[in-house]
Amino acid sequence: MSKGEIIAGFLAPHPPHLVYGENPEQNEAKSQGGWEQLRWAYERARASLEELKPDVLLVHSPHWITQQGHHFLGVEHLSGKSVDPIFPNLFRYNFELKVDVELAEACCAIGAEMGLTTKMMLNPNFRVDYGTITTLHMIRPQWDIPVVGISANNSPYYLTTEEGLEEMDILGKATRKAIEDSGRRAVLLASNTLCHYHFSEEPVPPEDMAQEHPQNYEGYLWDMRMIELLRQGKTGEVFELLPQFINEAFAEVKSGAFTWMFSAMQYPELAGELHGYGTVIGTGNAVMEWNLIKAGLAQAA
Amino acid sequence: MTVVSAFLIPGSPLPFVQRDNPPWGKIADALDTAGKALTASQPDTIIVYSTQWIAVLDQLWQTKPHLKDIHVDENWHEYGDLPFDIKIDTDLAEAAVVATNEAGIKSKGVNYDKFPIDTGTIIAANFLNPENKLPLVITANNVYHDWQMTEQLGRIAVAEAEKLHRKVAIVGVGGMSGSIYRQVINIADDKIASDEEDKWNRKILSLMEKGDVKTLLNECPKYASEAKVDMGFKHFAFILGAMGGDFSSATVHGYGPLYGSGAAVLEFQLG
Ligand SMILES: [Fe+2]
Repeated sequence: MSKGEIIAGFLAPHPPHLVYGENPEQNEAKSQGGWEQLRWAYERARASLEELKPDVLLVHSPHWITQQGHHFLGVEHLSGKSVDPIFPNLFRYNFELKVDVELAEACCAIGAEMGLTTKMMLNPNFRVDYGTITTLHMIRPQWDIPVVGISANNSPYYLTTEEGLEEMDILGKATRKAIEDSGRRAVLLASNTLCHYHFSEEPVPPEDMAQEHPQNYEGYLWDMRMIELLRQGKTGEVFELLPQFINEAFAEVKSGAFTWMFSAMQYPELAGELHGYGTVIGTGNAVMEWNLIKAGLAQAA
Repeated sequence: MTVVSAFLIPGSPLPFVQRDNPPWGKIADALDTAGKALTASQPDTIIVYSTQWIAVLDQLWQTKPHLKDIHVDENWHEYGDLPFDIKIDTDLAEAAVVATNEAGIKSKGVNYDKFPIDTGTIIAANFLNPENKLPLVITANNVYHDWQMTEQLGRIAVAEAEKLHRKVAIVGVGGMSGSIYRQVINIADDKIASDEEDKWNRKILSLMEKGDVKTLLNECPKYASEAKVDMGFKHFAFILGAMGGDFSSATVHGYGPLYGSGAAVLEFQLG
């Protein structure tokens, strides 16, 4: 078996509005569109993923919150209807996914060896969270690539942000080692919004784009500053600023996916490709790609 | 009298899924006792406020008439399924939606197949209404609502119940102190993770036993922050509002650890 590798990482946020705006058959709620800038950003990301031809997609979602350790989906087939508890009017999605249990088990075991509390989720009746499902639908609506789903341990909230993100850094290292040992060609998905200040009321209809704009100007400025640094490949500077960004822009990257992904990729000082930016109910969302094949850091298939 | 009984219970699934573990079994026994007391109080409807039903935009009220499904806890999935079969008092729930909106708290009913029902609500229903004899009104914890607003929600729910001539039992579902064990422990040795928090819990429980509402209201903000109390102890705010801001005493049916956090089963004697 040849050595596995991470071939790309995507910042792949999960506002359910994007699925709602697209009107796929799996979603019960129907719209007249909306959030096109972000949906077109995902179209570009989908095309890129198609070329990457990964064996597996790994997704870390802030809406599977766990207190005792970092958990991994460990049931080969999971299906059901996922209803977003915050936006049930927009997202009632029938999903069916295939889990790469072998890789999940390896991530879990190596994470434990590295000192983390880790756990496999083995209950076949488990309801996969809407963050995982939205990110996976937006990046690969065909659902034909196996998945490793990873929970967001609440350490950045329970401990300090810095202590929590240190755990996510270890989780990233464990993920990398597991992928290398597995022989898989893997794509990482960090399911995170940037600035998370949001409006407290929905427009009628929710897809009325005349109402959609950043909720908070300071937060918007933060998003632009961070995206600009990421586009320049100034990863070190981004991670120096991260705790301040989290604090001042209430950024969802606090939950760890972004740190997990960059740790797994060994924090490359590599210019990220911005596929697009847009707001959803006022929050800032960027779809970005770090293509390690194009950068010569991983091999083409 | 509209409110015939009121309870504060923990929303953790552990006493339900593993009651043969002695520390958790004690809490399960206390929940059974609370369930008997609730039944004896002969309410028409049980009004449940659970910290684990998180809302962000509006105040949400469940309006689907019948909820029957299996839930698997996000964190405790290895202990198995949480089945539930819950009937909703939709007249009262709909009235509460209208009344909370009129009071300036933006509210909505939710009526969707497979809408996620939180673990705390399921635990309350399974222990306190095991044969599903009574209908429930279930409402969410909006994370942006403060203590006062949460008290107001309790008051409004009861005022609407009164208009509909319902006798109601009030159930606030949530934990006490919040420090937990983050690693796997020997569950038979479970204890409150922090001695300081244990002291705080006991102090608050003793004030409740005495019905010293004035001191409680003074101490609750400090207790909530120093003992990392689940959601700022807003489940108690809801109960207090529903009881009209007063009660004469309380009975602690059980107190103990659930993976390090504090859990208490309390029954309030009304003023
Ligand atoms: Fe989110």
